[in-house]
Amino acid sequence: MTYLVVLDCEAVQALRDPGHPKHRHVVSQAQVVANRKRRAVAIQIVVPTAVRVEAGWDRTSRAWVFPNRLRIADSPLDTASANTAAGIRDRTSVSVADSHIGAVIQSAPYSQITVVTSDPGDMRRVAGDKNITVAAI
Amino acid sequence: MELQTAIERISELLDDGELETSNTSMRIPTALRDAAALAVKELGIAPSATALTTAALRATLEAVVMQAALDDHYERHPQARPDLGDLAIAAAELDGHPLAGQPGRLRQAAAEIAANHPDASPDDVLLWAEARALPAA
Repeated sequence: MTYLVVLDCEAVQALRDPGHPKHRHVVSQAQVVANRKRRAVAIQIVVPTAVRVEAGWDRTSRAWVFPNRLRIADSPLDTASANTAAGIRDRTSVSVADSHIGAVIQSAPYSQITVVTSDPGDMRRVAGDKNITVAAI
Repeated sequence: MELQTAIERISELLDDGELETSNTSMRIPTALRDAAALAVKELGIAPSATALTTAALRATLEAVVMQAALDDHYERHPQARPDLGDLAIAAAELDGHPLAGQPGRLRQAAAEIAANHPDASPDDVLLWAEARALPAA
């Protein structure tokens, strides 16, 4: 089994700010991922780059040092992802960032995909036919 | 080298996409080497024993870096440190476990199991909560 955890905008913002009301909740999820990596589970956290833009996550900024250290990989908005995301946005009218999350979900070759999000409804819409787990924060 | 500097350098090296490789002379137990070769040949778990070793080493280092970042964060922000109940809820959410929507039940199970098993894992809590949810025979 291979696991992918995708973060949405609020999850990212909650992770960065220790004063955010959902900070401990998202940190708990990061801790579970760390525990599983230690047990050699194939699990990866990613952030779509459009989500990073919306959340204001500049990897060169010291304000983001904690999320930067958590081995959260960028999922870039390349040509193929942009095409998929454009189609999702056209069909569902969600934000650019959420459309990019949908593109990541639809193209990810993982056995299980979990999206950490404050908007479960939109995540299910952008996932299309792909079976996902929604971790609502 | 200061610990955090070392962690950041390890993280940078893990992110380095360069394809340059190095020959290295490592003494590993012969039985382990043979087990890896057999697993590659007969179970197809990796393209080669080298790829298997590299993937395992990367996963271990990623777990170490992630945990170091979390530990440093907990030291600076003790209120962000999740307890066993938080971790059980997070694990249930990430897995789409049926009890994810019942945080009270998971916290109760965490409190019960921690009383006798201080080293219990979030997965232990889920199992206990699941067992408690079964109707008595």
